[in-house]
Amino acid sequence: MSTESIFVEQLSKTYKVPEREGGFGAAVRSFFKRKYKDVNAVQKVSFRIEPGEIVGFLGPNGAGKTTTLKMLSGLLHPTGGKANVLGFTPWELKPDYLRSMTLVMGQRNRLSWDIPAADSFLLNQAIYRLPDNEYKKTYKELDELLELEPLMKKPVRNLSLGERMKCEIAAGLLHRPKVLFLDEPTIGLDITGQARIREFLREYNRRTGATILLTSHYMADVTALCERIIIIHHGNLKYDGGINDLSRRIAPFKLIGIRLSEADSHDLSGYGSEVQNEEDAEKRYIRVRADEVTRVTSRLLADLPIHDITIADPPIEDVIERAFNE
Amino acid sequence: MLKIFKRLWQVNWAEQWQYRANLLMYLLYWLVSPIIYLAVWTSIAASKGDVNGLTANDFVTYYMTLLIVDQITSNITLHIFAYKVQDGSLSSELIRPIHPMLTNTLVNNIAFKALSIMGLIPIWIVLFFLFQPNFSSVTWQGIALAIPAMMLGFIIAFLISASVTSVAFWTTRVYSISEFYFALFLLFSGQFVPLTLMPPIIQSIARYLPFQFSLYYPIQLILGKLSPGQIIEGYIVALIWLPISYFLFNWVWREGVKRYSAVGA
Amino acid sequence: MHYLKLLQNLLKLNIQMSLAYRADTVVNILLNLMWLGWELLGLSIIFNNTETLGGWGPGELIALLGVFRLVNTLMAALIWPNTEKFNQSIRDGSMDYTLLQPVNSMFLTTFSRITVWRIWDLVLAIILIVVGINMSGDITTPLSTLTFILLAVSGAIVIYSLWIVLIALTFWFTKFDNNVTILQALLDAGRYPVTVYPVWLRIIVTFIIPIAVATTIPLQALRGDLEISRVLIFIGVGIVSFWIASNVWKAGLKRYSGASS
Repeated sequence: MSTESIFVEQLSKTYKVPEREGGFGAAVRSFFKRKYKDVNAVQKVSFRIEPGEIVGFLGPNGAGKTTTLKMLSGLLHPTGGKANVLGFTPWELKPDYLRSMTLVMGQRNRLSWDIPAADSFLLNQAIYRLPDNEYKKTYKELDELLELEPLMKKPVRNLSLGERMKCEIAAGLLHRPKVLFLDEPTIGLDITGQARIREFLREYNRRTGATILLTSHYMADVTALCERIIIIHHGNLKYDGGINDLSRRIAPFKLIGIRLSEADSHDLSGYGSEVQNEEDAEKRYIRVRADEVTRVTSRLLADLPIHDITIADPPIEDVIERAFNE
Repeated sequence: MLKIFKRLWQVNWAEQWQYRANLLMYLLYWLVSPIIYLAVWTSIAASKGDVNGLTANDFVTYYMTLLIVDQITSNITLHIFAYKVQDGSLSSELIRPIHPMLTNTLVNNIAFKALSIMGLIPIWIVLFFLFQPNFSSVTWQGIALAIPAMMLGFIIAFLISASVTSVAFWTTRVYSISEFYFALFLLFSGQFVPLTLMPPIIQSIARYLPFQFSLYYPIQLILGKLSPGQIIEGYIVALIWLPISYFLFNWVWREGVKRYSAVGA
Repeated sequence: MHYLKLLQNLLKLNIQMSLAYRADTVVNILLNLMWLGWELLGLSIIFNNTETLGGWGPGELIALLGVFRLVNTLMAALIWPNTEKFNQSIRDGSMDYTLLQPVNSMFLTTFSRITVWRIWDLVLAIILIVVGINMSGDITTPLSTLTFILLAVSGAIVIYSLWIVLIALTFWFTKFDNNVTILQALLDAGRYPVTVYPVWLRIIVTFIIPIAVATTIPLQALRGDLEISRVLIFIGVGIVSFWIASNVWKAGLKRYSGASS
């Protein structure tokens, strides 16, 4: 057995999608002879994740993130390749495997709407065969981290979105899974809600040593939690490595910020492309290739009445966005 | 106004057409109970020669006619309207300058009806060959008399259903409450059995209730089973119920909308 | 054992749910009684006009009404609410969670929702059967009672299996949320002895949508007019249909996970 938590090799998923043209004639024809089109949702993706790692799994909509998570949790059979999670092949859906991992999808409810979460929790205790003392211990721990107690007695439909998400995540963790697949766990939450979930995940990972693979549209989630990210696009693996190396590897650019000592009307297009930054209206930013930073800086200093100058890495959001667009 | 109805018709027809598979299943569902009653009563009539003067053929023609009349006079207001109140989607209809119930829901009903009658025709023909009814008592005069009766029956039943459905403004238990309405309908409309076989007390109440105009009265008109006196009495009772049901609906609706906006759904 | 404990948990949950909506529960019990009154009125109208229906007298039809209500209880207590839950979970994707739980998914799909107050309906149904049989003057023996119970259970399993097949079809045709209408539609046919129906309808409700297998046929066994060979056949049908249903379910899951294509 290998030592890593998650091991993925050449994993592929191709969907057959019926192809249909508009119009009545085409509808009749397709009734007799369906044409199918292959859609490659995931193409030969390989990576491995060590126990205890938190990895951000990124890509634009339709990149194949959810398909991959579904294959890793066992919901989908791949059309090719191998995957091994904690020594199990996920799609065999062995009960022992199901008891050691969890899948939390931010847009789907596992809890029943009509009853308080406490009751759904007890059902989960029975489903996962958790002994009373163990269940109580885990619950206490989750309560401590997420402040669940005040939410437990109300029917789920009466909870706010953020409160519900806390309960959803807790419900997915009652059986103390060793591997967590989180698909958009913070979607729709406000900033403080997001921050709280994020904090919880970090703390949970620290306490239990669980491996976490998460997707999110909020870069703040990723930058706060993950040291490593995996990017896929059109089903292909685009990047796998440290989040800090990303800008160097994918987008070797720096941002030069300048404050001019006199009225801001100078044309900066000769130095590099100017970037809008609404947070800091006093400064203007230019994006410059990393190997040209020195040259451009000295030109700027020579040409313009510079009051203040900074050189920084571009924000990770921009870098990832650029990675998608390439 | 006509233009509004025309547009509403186009939208609703297209929408119903989308759901034609559902509609076929609904038809199938709805067909079963008349066919069962038909089978039960013809089997009784066949074994005894007649039931209270009604022969096996009388029962076959009664239920076969019922299949058509029911499609014409019935409505599905409860199913297309009640949830709109509950999930709040009525709000967007209330702020439009047309009456949600008397335009959109009405036209929706009619589109549903048109499509389900189209679906019924082939099924009805198959049933015709299976049961071989003898429709010799049907006359053109009878049909001509039945058409306005069915229109009245539809309008009255629609207004009463709309009133019952409007209970949704007060309670989420509208579906349970409407079951009481269905039970009354079943008892007094002639759905289970021609009213002449009902206990005398039910018959004498049914004469003055609006339910018979949905089924029993138009069916008997088509089949030519009513005396001139009964025909006139029926029309008079229907014409009395028409304004009553209209005022009932208007009142329930006004109070309901008041409440809906007060609660702020 | 584990499954019994789970069932106990699910039952507890559902009792809590119906307690939360206790006004609905009361209204529903009232409605239920109203429909029972309506059904008895219907029978009395029929027997005002005839002595026998398809060879059965009033007592037997009351007993049949009882058996029909047993089937109806199965439908109302388990099948309809779980169909609703199932279709909903396919639509919103929460089916994924059901599949990822370390418990047989067919079990969870069957017992997630239990309309608890319907147990009251079972009591009513049994009263109807006992009263009806006493009225009819049919002689029952312990053996015929036992075959009745066996056949009623096996008939219920046949209907249950058909239900599983119908909802499993949703795995192939995702838009198939009318999956159980056909079952619902023909259920009413169980109210009367199938012997009164024209042949084509009899064939449908015995073989295709076998409502009669769970209503008319067990009652025939109770009256003692069903040969032993046919009793065995109907019990066999129950076992085979359950086997077929669980295999269709498994195939459906394979389809859902894309393992079959």
